[in-house]
Amino acid sequence: MTQRAKDGEKAFAIETHDLHKIFVAGMVKVHALRGVNMKVRNGELISVVGPSGSGKSTLLNMLGALDRPTKGKIVIDGVDIARLKDHILSVFRNRRIGFIFQTYNLINRSTVEKNVELPAIVRGMPKKLRKRRVQELLNVVGLGDKANRKPAILSGGEQQRVAIARALINDPAFILADEPTGNLDTKTGAEIENLLIQLNKERGATIVIVTHNLELADKTQRILHLRDGVIEKEIPGTTWSSGLPQINRPGDMDSAMRES
Amino acid sequence: MNPLELIGLSFGALKERRLRSGLTILMVIIGSSLMTSLNGLGGGMNAFIEDQLGTLGANVLIISPSGMQAGFGPPQETGKIKLTSQTVRTIERIHGIKDVIPFFSGYAVIKSGGKEKSVQITGMDQSKLKYISPKAELESGSFVSLHDPSGIVLGHNIAYPSDLDKPFVKRGQTVSIEFTKVESEGGREKIVVERKSFQVKGILGELGDIFVDNQALVSLAAANDLFEKGGTYDGIYGITRNSEENDEVEGRIRKIYGENIGISSPKAIAETIQEVMGTFGTFISAIAAVSMFVGAVGIVTTLYTSVMERTREVGLLKAIGYGNTVILLMFLTESMTIGFLGALLGLGFGAIGAYVLIEVLPFGVGALSFSPRFLPMDLVEIFLISFVLSIVAGLYPAWRASRLSPITALRKE
Repeated sequence: MTQRAKDGEKAFAIETHDLHKIFVAGMVKVHALRGVNMKVRNGELISVVGPSGSGKSTLLNMLGALDRPTKGKIVIDGVDIARLKDHILSVFRNRRIGFIFQTYNLINRSTVEKNVELPAIVRGMPKKLRKRRVQELLNVVGLGDKANRKPAILSGGEQQRVAIARALINDPAFILADEPTGNLDTKTGAEIENLLIQLNKERGATIVIVTHNLELADKTQRILHLRDGVIEKEIPGTTWSSGLPQINRPGDMDSAMRES
Repeated sequence: MNPLELIGLSFGALKERRLRSGLTILMVIIGSSLMTSLNGLGGGMNAFIEDQLGTLGANVLIISPSGMQAGFGPPQETGKIKLTSQTVRTIERIHGIKDVIPFFSGYAVIKSGGKEKSVQITGMDQSKLKYISPKAELESGSFVSLHDPSGIVLGHNIAYPSDLDKPFVKRGQTVSIEFTKVESEGGREKIVVERKSFQVKGILGELGDIFVDNQALVSLAAANDLFEKGGTYDGIYGITRNSEENDEVEGRIRKIYGENIGISSPKAIAETIQEVMGTFGTFISAIAAVSMFVGAVGIVTTLYTSVMERTREVGLLKAIGYGNTVILLMFLTESMTIGFLGALLGLGFGAIGAYVLIEVLPFGVGALSFSPRFLPMDLVEIFLISFVLSIVAGLYPAWRASRLSPITALRKE
């Protein structure tokens, strides 16, 4: 369990209260979120699922502190982000949220190491500490020997691992994963799923996965079903297990990948 | 954020688009090097003109017959005054005039040892040369006396032409001088060549003044005879007691002769030339300024394209906590890098370019050659203009980048 999880006052990584978002496009008003209420406890691994048009992307933007609600409250790590100014919001995202994208969003001209340390650079983390953390995290995701490679020569699974290491570098309050396995084949996708589960169980990372992949969602603790801008139901993941998944050691995954 | 890290990130981005970055730097180089070259040429030319006119005495008025109208086509005499010994006596008596030096001049060909050279020959009282050209001195020999019919003193460049490795003539040698004139005989014009022998009495030291250095001097009588002037002078140098009185003395001469006489002074000539040069310089600088402006537009285009291509990258950076200011500075650093390299290389290429231009353009003819002159303050100014213009050019693309939404990073392609 992380320090944050033990902190009684901030038991929740995320809380939303009657979250509304209305987009105005000319004469048309789109009511994307119509009162979302959700809570994510520290150390939880949950998923948000829903068909297209359910407001999933809009909710994702809110959870990522990339956009502000029209009405209602969103409290991340004890802070109501609707009131934060833009430049504070940047700092907030930098320190409290780790992003994982479907398309990895790595900078191809830079090395793996540089990509991972990007959030730490703008934070102003001392170089020595930064390099040490990068290496430590690359070891965790099983890319300890690939720090000086360029992302373009890595496989899709490896690229997503780089992105996961990047998401972890500033020790965020939670990780927000947007379709993390969407661009990967089944086998590699499963490996990334296992890595996320392992991070949650071994390191106590709070993770929110936004996906339409029900199989992936089923492996999380809770599944929030979003429909027409509201949480329609909330059910526990059926394949969620309190034990560790089978292939989860970085070394094992590495060798599994080499065999494939 | 550490500025060095910022520079590192910007360098990476520029390196990724090597060709495009290189071409943009080239655009800046063209602007700043053109500015540098032209500045060096202008400086060199100004210094050259000052040198030339500086060898002439400051208290000299050049009096010429009746305002020769310079312009297109052959010069036309508009006045009625001939400069004769009577004129000389009149001017001599004017208050403020210390001395009067009348002269004849004409073009002739000097032949020596199978080679020939076309020169201007001036007939004057050579003992008074020091009033007109204070720095003129004999390198060897002596001046020609007042009535010597066949003695000649040669300017340095005639005796030692730059295109010959041996002297053209030596002191004591006899040279043949040919003067070509048109004679009218029974309504028909014919060309007559007059030939006379002269003995080289002296050679002038090198002065750096193209007029004196390329001049041959004979006595007044010899020139009158050779060019068949019949006692009508081509000009009179009026030496004033004090150069500050030049304008007043000029006024007194005008009172007598009105506009039928031409009066100028080295100072006035210098001012006229510098005025023309100034106009020319402004025109050239305008061209250089336009090319600098084009370079700046190049930076806008390159960076703007780069921002558009890197929308996702910028979105990602913003999502992971890079604020508007950091993004703005990142792109500004890119334009600063382009500007810095372009401006610096431009100075170097511009300096080289000035020397190349002198070789290529028709400035460098024989004695008229001069070297570019660069003033450190001008170079600093050109560098700063170029550099600051690049930063200004980067502002808009950088601002656009800083306004990009972080949500773009989440967009699926």
